[in-house]
Amino acid sequence: MTTTDPIDSGAIDPGTVDPGRLGSGPVEADPRGPGPLDPLGFSPVEFGGDGRPCASYILRVNGFERPVTDAWIGESLLYVLRERLGLAGAKDGCEQGECGACSVLVDGQLVAGCLVPAALASDSEIATVEGLSAGGAASDVQQALADSGAVQCGYCTPGLAVAVHDLLQRNHRPSEVEARQALCGNLCRCTGYRGVLAAVQAVAEARGTEEETGEDAAVAEPAAEPVAGAPETTEPLAAPVEDTGIAQPSATQPVAPQPVPPVSAQVAADLPPAGEMPLYADSEAWVEAEALYPAEPTTAGTGVGIDYGTVTVHQTGIYEPYPGYTATPAHGTPYDSSYESQSSYEAPYDAAYDTGYGQSHYEATPAHGTAADGPVYDGAPVHGTPYIPTPAHGTAYAETAAGYEGYDGTTPAHGIHLQPSAGGTSISEDDHA
Amino acid sequence: MLPASLDEAVEALAATPGAVPVAGATDLMEAVNAGRLRPAALIGLGRITELRGWRYEDGGTAVLGAGLTHARMDRPDFAALIPALADAARTAGPPQIRNVGTLGGNIATAAPAGDTLPVLTVLEATATLARAGGTREVPISHLLTGLDPLRPGELLTWVRVPLLHAPQVFLKATGRSGPARASASVALVLDPARRAVRCAVGAVAPVPLRPLEAEAWVAGCIDWDARGEEGAALIDPAAAAAFGEYVAGACIPDGALDGPEGAGALAARLRRTVSVLARRALGRALK
Repeated sequence: MTTTDPIDSGAIDPGTVDPGRLGSGPVEADPRGPGPLDPLGFSPVEFGGDGRPCASYILRVNGFERPVTDAWIGESLLYVLRERLGLAGAKDGCEQGECGACSVLVDGQLVAGCLVPAALASDSEIATVEGLSAGGAASDVQQALADSGAVQCGYCTPGLAVAVHDLLQRNHRPSEVEARQALCGNLCRCTGYRGVLAAVQAVAEARGTEEETGEDAAVAEPAAEPVAGAPETTEPLAAPVEDTGIAQPSATQPVAPQPVPPVSAQVAADLPPAGEMPLYADSEAWVEAEALYPAEPTTAGTGVGIDYGTVTVHQTGIYEPYPGYTATPAHGTPYDSSYESQSSYEAPYDAAYDTGYGQSHYEATPAHGTAADGPVYDGAPVHGTPYIPTPAHGTAYAETAAGYEGYDGTTPAHGIHLQPSAGGTSISEDDHA
Repeated sequence: MLPASLDEAVEALAATPGAVPVAGATDLMEAVNAGRLRPAALIGLGRITELRGWRYEDGGTAVLGAGLTHARMDRPDFAALIPALADAARTAGPPQIRNVGTLGGNIATAAPAGDTLPVLTVLEATATLARAGGTREVPISHLLTGLDPLRPGELLTWVRVPLLHAPQVFLKATGRSGPARASASVALVLDPARRAVRCAVGAVAPVPLRPLEAEAWVAGCIDWDARGEEGAALIDPAAAAAFGEYVAGACIPDGALDGPEGAGALAARLRRTVSVLARRALGRALK
């Protein structure tokens, strides 16, 4: 704790260039032999050839015991993994814990590998990105990252893969806010995070589908049968088993984006469990961002096209099947003409759905000279209109004529709970205060 | 290297004078990676499970282990106990840091932008320092200001926090929307039993600052008897705004505004930030 102690005294020369940190080979054996044993019988602290304190220990990495000999005690776990053990998956970005490229799991906790002294992780269970899947194939998380366009230069990807894996271990159905908060320690300067968030949803849906089809096959099979309208009455197991085969990702096969589970089965799973509410979701001041583009029939449910409309539904928890709705039939079910006569389909659905598949929401660019829909430029003001100058840079908002009263220019910091406003929807001074 | 109990750790610390006790190592390894620090030996505190939890003591005090991680302090059970400390822990950094960074490490590092420090200051917490053969209690503010610093061979073990059962707020201004180092932070608690307000401002000075005059002044402006009544306005908004200015003026002296051009503008902006944070903190505490 006394980090300001004169630690550099004695045999340790602060100016000494550390060959162990430059080269990758183990430090040469100490000619003077091992140093004094720790009086309490802890692992012996030795001194390397240039007087640096060294230690030998065994790391348990991805289930294997890997001995490390004569390593300087100041070496980070990241350095030891990369340079001594040859596990170069975790990347060295900043060495300050800012970038998250070195994320590894120590005892199941997501940590920055560059900030863990390797010598102190000697009796911990360490998991790196290399251990995410067996046999050298990509895990479902890694495959989803690749499929969603979350990889460009790839430097942040191993860290993101570990972070996404850790997030989905703890939270099987993360909302977008939860995913963003969980991944806020991983910087990516190429992809803009959209692909990563899509990958999170894709894996969550794929795993959810896998679980549900597994349950259906085992438990709720008779209940699922009439809804799905399975054509084969002689082989009741056929449809669910087929689904299971489709949904289960194998280690050697890339995971195709999975369709969303039937709505009737999705409701209970999608309600955010108590205690895992998104940070701002209980606040009236939290306004959901509108989906950038309407969900199209062709992309809905693939998880690759960003279907944030669905995410919004997850967060607010108001997803209720309207009466008369029957679940989407299982994949491969012959088309049932009775769908067209169901009037209950019309009201809550976007009218655009009725235009059928194949037609997108794309509207052709209007011909040159067509009047624009947007704010129309209506010419310069008439001569003599009083000119209201723009306030100088840095002027407080409240001082301007059309100022936004109550806004101080200071957004609350990350993680601060917004208070629900007491007086309705308008945010007055006291609601912010 | 990895003692399993507090006694072993203290003995090891006494036996190896140059050793650095290390819990989460996030601050230590940053210095080591940057070449600023070459520890002669490390004593890992991660295996001392007794320091990783907390307990109640004689009703009004929570005794927090120095090895309590920020991620643990963010959990709802702890947030119900000391909400301001939970808020500070939540905003302290990304999950990778919060999973390992500890309360004791935050105090021992005593970085100016340490997020838990203004909260501990405003709660008037005391630290228990253990050495071979004894312990002593030091107020957090004495520890941070160097009035009574950590001596060689001493280990920060427990932090005693008096429970107030009153609103407490932690607010922080950062340079970006994600987790980041605070440019200014304000912790504010109400002490209804003494009819007092306590406020500490972090990150604007090497140690958290307590604007004592502003605290005493604003305590007189609050309608304490109306507390708990539905829709009661406990303080005039103008008084809250004036409190913000008072706090900011106390923490960023006028001299700083007259610095060279850039520094003066920076100080003016920081003063405004502190003023807004303090006003909001008071408003939220009195809501």
